[in-house]
Amino acid sequence: MSFDVIGRSVKRNDVVEKITGSARYAGDVRLPGMLYARTLRSNMAHATIRSIDTSRALALPGVKAVLTHENVPRVLHYGSPHPRSASLAQDQYILDNKVRYWGECVAAVAAISEEIAEEALELIDVVYDPLPVMATIEAALAAGATPIHDVGPGGNLVAPPIKVRRGDIERGFAEADLVIEGEYEGGRPTPAYMEPNVCVCHWEHTGEHNSAASDRSGDKLTVHISTQTAFMVRGILAEVLGLPLNQVRVIVDHMGGGFGAKQDLFQSEFLCALLSRETRRPVMLEYTRKETFLGGRSRHPVKIWLKQGFKRDGTLTARQARVVFNSGAYGSHGPGVTAVGTTAMTSLYRCENIELEGMCVYTNAPIAGAFRGYGVVQTYYALDIQMDEAAEQLGIDPALLKRKNAVRAGDLAPSGHPLVGHGLEDCIDRGMQEVNWPKTRTHQRSSDGARRFGWGIGCEMHGSSAYPGIKEQGNAIVKLNEDGTAVLLTGTAGLGTGAHTALAQIVAEELGIPFERVSVMHGDTDTVPWDIGAFASHTTYMGGRAAQMAATEVKRQLLERAAEKLEVAAEELELRKGIISVRGTDIHLSVAEALGVARGQPAAHLVGSATYTPTKSYSFGAHFAEVAVDVETGHIEVLQVTPVHEVGRVIHPLAAAGQVEGGIQQGIGHTLSENYEIDPVTGKSLNAGFVDYKMPLSMDMPPIHTILLETAPDPGGPWGAKGIGEDPIIAIGPAIANAVHNAIGVRFRHYPITPEDVLNALRAQKTEVA
Amino acid sequence: MIRFDYEEPRTLAEASAVLKAHAGRASVLAGGTDLLVEIKEHLRRVHCVVNIKRIPGLDAVTFDAATGLRFGALTTARRIELDADVARHHPGLRQATRELGSIQVRHRATVVGNVCRASPSADTLPPLIADGAVIEIGNGTSTREMLLEDFFTGPGKTALQPGELVLAIRLPPAPARTGRIYIKHGRRRAMELATVGVAVSITLDEARICTKARIALGAVAATPIRARDSEAALEGRVVDATIIAHAADLAMAASRPISNVRASAAYRREMVSVLTRRALEQALATIP
Repeated sequence: MSFDVIGRSVKRNDVVEKITGSARYAGDVRLPGMLYARTLRSNMAHATIRSIDTSRALALPGVKAVLTHENVPRVLHYGSPHPRSASLAQDQYILDNKVRYWGECVAAVAAISEEIAEEALELIDVVYDPLPVMATIEAALAAGATPIHDVGPGGNLVAPPIKVRRGDIERGFAEADLVIEGEYEGGRPTPAYMEPNVCVCHWEHTGEHNSAASDRSGDKLTVHISTQTAFMVRGILAEVLGLPLNQVRVIVDHMGGGFGAKQDLFQSEFLCALLSRETRRPVMLEYTRKETFLGGRSRHPVKIWLKQGFKRDGTLTARQARVVFNSGAYGSHGPGVTAVGTTAMTSLYRCENIELEGMCVYTNAPIAGAFRGYGVVQTYYALDIQMDEAAEQLGIDPALLKRKNAVRAGDLAPSGHPLVGHGLEDCIDRGMQEVNWPKTRTHQRSSDGARRFGWGIGCEMHGSSAYPGIKEQGNAIVKLNEDGTAVLLTGTAGLGTGAHTALAQIVAEELGIPFERVSVMHGDTDTVPWDIGAFASHTTYMGGRAAQMAATEVKRQLLERAAEKLEVAAEELELRKGIISVRGTDIHLSVAEALGVARGQPAAHLVGSATYTPTKSYSFGAHFAEVAVDVETGHIEVLQVTPVHEVGRVIHPLAAAGQVEGGIQQGIGHTLSENYEIDPVTGKSLNAGFVDYKMPLSMDMPPIHTILLETAPDPGGPWGAKGIGEDPIIAIGPAIANAVHNAIGVRFRHYPITPEDVLNALRAQKTEVA
Repeated sequence: MIRFDYEEPRTLAEASAVLKAHAGRASVLAGGTDLLVEIKEHLRRVHCVVNIKRIPGLDAVTFDAATGLRFGALTTARRIELDADVARHHPGLRQATRELGSIQVRHRATVVGNVCRASPSADTLPPLIADGAVIEIGNGTSTREMLLEDFFTGPGKTALQPGELVLAIRLPPAPARTGRIYIKHGRRRAMELATVGVAVSITLDEARICTKARIALGAVAATPIRARDSEAALEGRVVDATIIAHAADLAMAASRPISNVRASAAYRREMVSVLTRRALEQALATIP
C-alpha cells in the first residue's frame, strides 16, 4: 500500500496557535460580567456535617452566592458519566451532608473576584461530627468497619468482586516444576496534567422574565470546560440539573492534558452551573494546582497477590491472583479499572489454567479514577516482574522466557476476542536485535564507584476502545466545499496529543486531497456529532475509522458527480492529490471543478456521515531499559530506554513517538518518585503540590530510542491502525524494576522504588548473605 | 483579597525607617521568588512589603585578590552562577547557584534573599558558610558584620533586628591549594529542594597535610550547621581514606535531621556520611 498523507509527520494543524499562545483554553474564556468561584474543602477525611453557616460569607461585599448541601439538588449520580456502563459507580451527590475524604468540596462561593471568593471561604463555618477514618484497604475491609457508603454491595466494596476462571488451576500447579508467589504493591501516582480543571458556565434565562423559577423551557446552559468527554458532561449536567440536551451546550477547545482523569465530573461543574443559575451571570471555576491533587483523580493504589507455575522449559502451567484496588472515597471508574486490570492477567503471557479475583474498595482517601493504563499498569507490573523472577530461577533469559510465552494470533484476548498477529513476539524480537540482547545484559558495564548497572525488559499489551466494558460508537461528518477543501466534524476531544491532526490526515488520505485542505471542527456539542469521549486509546482507532468511513461516503458522492460531468462510470475514476482522473487516460478534473458551479447549476453540497461501532484491537510493546543504581545513596537513574511498540499502522510518526516518550517519562516518575501520599491515620494529604510530588523533568529524561512496528494491523482500525495512547506507560515500570534486579540483585515488588527502599533492601541482602 | 502596605524606599535610611516602623512585621522584597509564592499560597501573612530594588548600589559585585569577593543584596543567583571569579574561587557556591530552582528563578532570585529566607535546606548557605562568608548588615545609620554561620537562629529566623537590612556578603580570598565542593542531594536534577546539602572547603599544604577544613551541612538541622568535629579530625593530618571516613561519620553524628515526606531522618543522616565523604574526595581531587 502506498500513501500520500498518512505515515508522514505533517505539520500539526494546531501548531501555530499553540506556539504563538493564541490557542484558547477554557481558562482563557472571559465573558462580560463573569464571576469567579472557589470551593471550600473539608479538613476531615470522614465526618458528617452537623451544621454549615454561610451567613458571614454572604455578608462579605462582592460575594454573590454560596452553595452548600442544603441548597443544591440532591441527585445520586455517576462520578464519570458513561451511559449505563458497568465500568462506573453511581455514588455521588453534588454536595452531601457527609464528607468521605480530606479535601472533598462542602461549599462553593461565587464573587466578583477570585480573591473575594477565596476570602469568603474562610467565613463559612462548618461543624463536623467525625467518623472513623479508614484510609487504607486493610482498615476499610476490617471486620466491623464503618460503611463509607450506603450504596454498593456493602463491606466497603465498590462493586461485587470480579472472578475469572479458565482451565483447572489445581492441575496447573500440580503440573508445575516451579511455583513462584509474591505480593506486589502500587502507590498513588496522579496524572498531574498541565492544565488544572477549569470550567466557565453561563446559564442564560431567555424565557419570560417573570416566569416561575421552575420553568426552564427558555434556559440555555453553556459550559466551556477542559474535559475528555464533552457529551458525557452534557448528558449528566442535563440529567442532574433537569434540562433537555438541546439546552445544554458544552464547548471544549484546546486542552492541556487529561490522561483519563478528565472523564470524571469533579463536583465543580455542577456547582459552577448552579452558581451561574443563581446569580444569572457567567461563572468561572478553576482549580489551583493543589486542588488538582485534593479533588482530582489518581491511579488506584493496589495490592496484588500473584502465584504462577512453570515447567522446567519455561512453559506456564497456572496463574492465580488476587487484586485489590483502593478506590478512595468514591467509585468513579473503580469497577472498570478492576475489570480491565484483573482480566488483563488472563493474557500477555499465555496460560491455560487461570484463577483471578479482583476487588475494589472504598476508603477515606482521595478518589482514584481512570488514568492512562487503567488498572493494567498495576497488574502487568506484578505479572512482568514475576516472569523475570521465574526466568532467573529457571536459568532462562527473561526476554526469551517472555517471548516463549507471549500471546499470539488466535489466543483469547482479555476482551474475549482472538488476537490478531504476533505483535508481542515482534516487539521482543526487534528490541533484542536493537539493543543486542542478551549480550548487552550478560556483559554489563563494570561498576563505576558506587554505581551498578543493569538491563531489564518489560512487556505489555493494551486494548484500543473500552469494549466490552463500554459499548462504544465513533461518529464523523465530512463536508466537501466547492473549492475542493473539506471539513471534518468530530466530537472527539484533543487532549494535546495531536489527535485532530491524525484525523485530518485520515480524511485527506481517504479523499485523495492534500492534508492542508482538510480542517477540523470539534468540541461543540451543538454542532459536531455525538462522541463518547477521548479515552481508552481509541481516538485514532475508532474516531479515525469513523472519519475514514465518512470520507469514503463523501468521496463516493463526489465521484458520482464527476462521472456525470465526464460522462463515464464512477468506477472508472480515481482520486489522488486533489485530481480526479479517468483510469488509463489523461482525462481529469480537479475536485473543485467537479463540485463547482457549472452550466448555471449551483455548486454541489456533499456531506458524508458515518457511525462506527468497534469491538477492540490490541497494541503491543516491549521496553528495554538500562539503569544505574548508586548503592550508597540508593538513587536509581534510568540511562536509556529502547521502547518497541506494535501499533498496526502509524498515522503520524512524530506524534506517535511523542506518546511513547511521554508515557515513558510518566512511567519513570511512577516507578521511581511520584507518590501522592496520604496520612494513613488521619487521611490528610501530605504532598499536594509540585514541591513534594516529584515528577521527573526534562533534565531527568534518558535518551529514548523509539521503534514503531506495523506488523499486526487490525482490521477494525483505519488501514490497520491501533491505539498508542496508554501503552507506553505500562511496560516501563517492570522494565526498570527488572533492570534494578539485574544491577544489584534486589527484587522490588512495589512502586515507587525510593532511594531509602534501595538502601534498606541492600542492607537486608547483606544480612542474608552474612 | 490579601491586603498589605507596600513601600519602595529609595535609600538605605528610608528602608531602615520603614522596616523599623513595621517592627518585625515587614517583608523585604528583592527577587520575590519565595516571598510572592508564600503570600499567594497563604503561607505567610504580610503586613507590609518593602521593595528594596529602588535602592541604588545594592547589586554591585566586586572582586579583589587581597580582600576577596563582595556582592550586594540585590545580586541575583544567576549573576553569581556566571561570575568568573566565583567559578575560580568559590566553585561550591557556583554549583549551589547552578542547582537553585530554575534558570528563570535564578534570574530573579537573589543570593542574599536565599540567605535571609533562612530555610535549612537553602542551597547557597552551606557553601557560603564553608567559604567563611561574612554578612554586612546596616540599619540606616551604622553597619555591623558577622560570620554568616552565626546569622541563622532557626528555620526562617535570623539575627536581623528591626530596622536592619543585609547590605552585602563578603567572601575572603581562598588560600592556595584549596578544594571546594557542594553536593546537593535530591530526587531530580533541577527544580529540586535539597534533602541534604554538603559543602566542603579544604586546604592542604605541600605535604598534603590539611591546614584548614570547613564542612557545612544543609537540611539536616534547624539551621545550616558546621561539622566542627569533622573539621577538627581533618586539620593537621594527612588526609587518607580512613580519616575521610571518620570525618564523614562525625558529620553524620553532628546532624539532627527531621523526617518528612521528602526523606526520613535516618536516610538523611546516612546521606550526610556518604556525601561528606564524596565531597571531601572530590575536593581533594582538585588539589594538585
